[in-house]
Amino acid sequence: MDYGRSELADALAADYVIGTLRGGARRRFEALLPAHVELRHATAAWRDRLMPLTAVIAAVQPSSEVWRRISDRLDEGRSAPATNAWSRLAFWRGLTAFASVAAIGLAVLLANPRAVPPPIVVVLVATDAAASGAAAPAIVASISGDGATLVARPIVPVALRPDRSLELWAVPKDGVPRSLGVLPAGSGTVALRGRVLAGVDTLAVTIEPLGGSPTGQATGPIVYAGKFSL
Amino acid sequence: MTRTPADWSERSHDLSRLLARASLGDRAAFATLYERTSSHLLAVVLRIQRDRAQAEDILQEVYVNVWRAASSFDAAQSQPLTWLTSIARNRAIDGLRRAQTQPQMRTLGPSVEGRDSEDEDVYDTVADDAPGPLELLSRAAETRSLAACMDKLSALQRQSVALAFFQGLSHAEVAEQLHQPLGTVKSWVRRSLMILKSCLQGAVQRDASTGNG
Repeated sequence: MDYGRSELADALAADYVIGTLRGGARRRFEALLPAHVELRHATAAWRDRLMPLTAVIAAVQPSSEVWRRISDRLDEGRSAPATNAWSRLAFWRGLTAFASVAAIGLAVLLANPRAVPPPIVVVLVATDAAASGAAAPAIVASISGDGATLVARPIVPVALRPDRSLELWAVPKDGVPRSLGVLPAGSGTVALRGRVLAGVDTLAVTIEPLGGSPTGQATGPIVYAGKFSL
Repeated sequence: MTRTPADWSERSHDLSRLLARASLGDRAAFATLYERTSSHLLAVVLRIQRDRAQAEDILQEVYVNVWRAASSFDAAQSQPLTWLTSIARNRAIDGLRRAQTQPQMRTLGPSVEGRDSEDEDVYDTVADDAPGPLELLSRAAETRSLAACMDKLSALQRQSVALAFFQGLSHAEVAEQLHQPLGTVKSWVRRSLMILKSCLQGAVQRDASTGNG
């Protein structure tokens, strides 16, 4: 489907914002959002139109218990060295262990007379956060030479709680990580649109709620990461 | 209490500052943000997820995520209440998807028992005297000067868009609710949205001109 066509983008965004886009289609839409300016704009416009309509709903005061639980959760985060998954990633980048990960990322050269750029293989190794989660030792991601598709596959099957998904992220040297989509059962083929890998030097996988991060930002721990260069 | 769009924009102005401070780790600002917005978000979630305990669980997840993602909020791109309400609705809708494989745990009021009229706005009879989706839509239309737009929609078209938006029903659920074919409901929702689009666009522009002061 060509998500670039503005009419279709608008209709999909309307469907998404009103909430009738469901299931796999909803998850695919969310996975595409970070990389699609037109979809993002259409979605933002529909939110601006529809969300203020909720102003007529009479407010309902939550029980005081809710804030106490939120407050506890924020305290948990505070005891960790950093509250944000990506600052933890930045922290690893300084570690020598991480440098060895970078060395594993290798380019596979194909003897091809037409000099098609070779695919790039990135090994995403399990992080400390994954050790507690009974995860596979590594995920291998292969980016096609033309940068159009990415295939990710765990070396052994990943054991995940049924209400969790693995989400793949492109992490630029500087800037906000972009979702490349959810990996069903840890493996899958991801279509890379546009220049989503421009400036990206790390692929990372986080554990997210089923269907992927609801916010477009990583919310769970990074369980795999691997460096590469295009 | 019914709020107007002017309130929406006005409140958003203060909320932007609170969100900015929260993104720098200011817990007091975040607590104030919670105080000012949680009753609205819970109300929005409760329309979609009617079980109070589950709705409060969703609310908790929403704010934990807002705390973590506060730095990604861009005040130039959207209003904080719009952003927060979207996050809450998405969570609530995702929660429904998970709940579909489990037994329904709705906490319904006694008035639903023995309901026999299929034509009424059934959510009017649920649990409390909260207005049904159709009533909400018409109130929203009043506050947003959309009455003329609403006149272009049939009663069933209005009902279908109201059920989908306020109650978070899927196309299939709306079809079942209204005893209409799925394809008909899909095209009603789409047509309603397209008609509302141009009117709502005007309302958004009015917000922008009144709300940025």
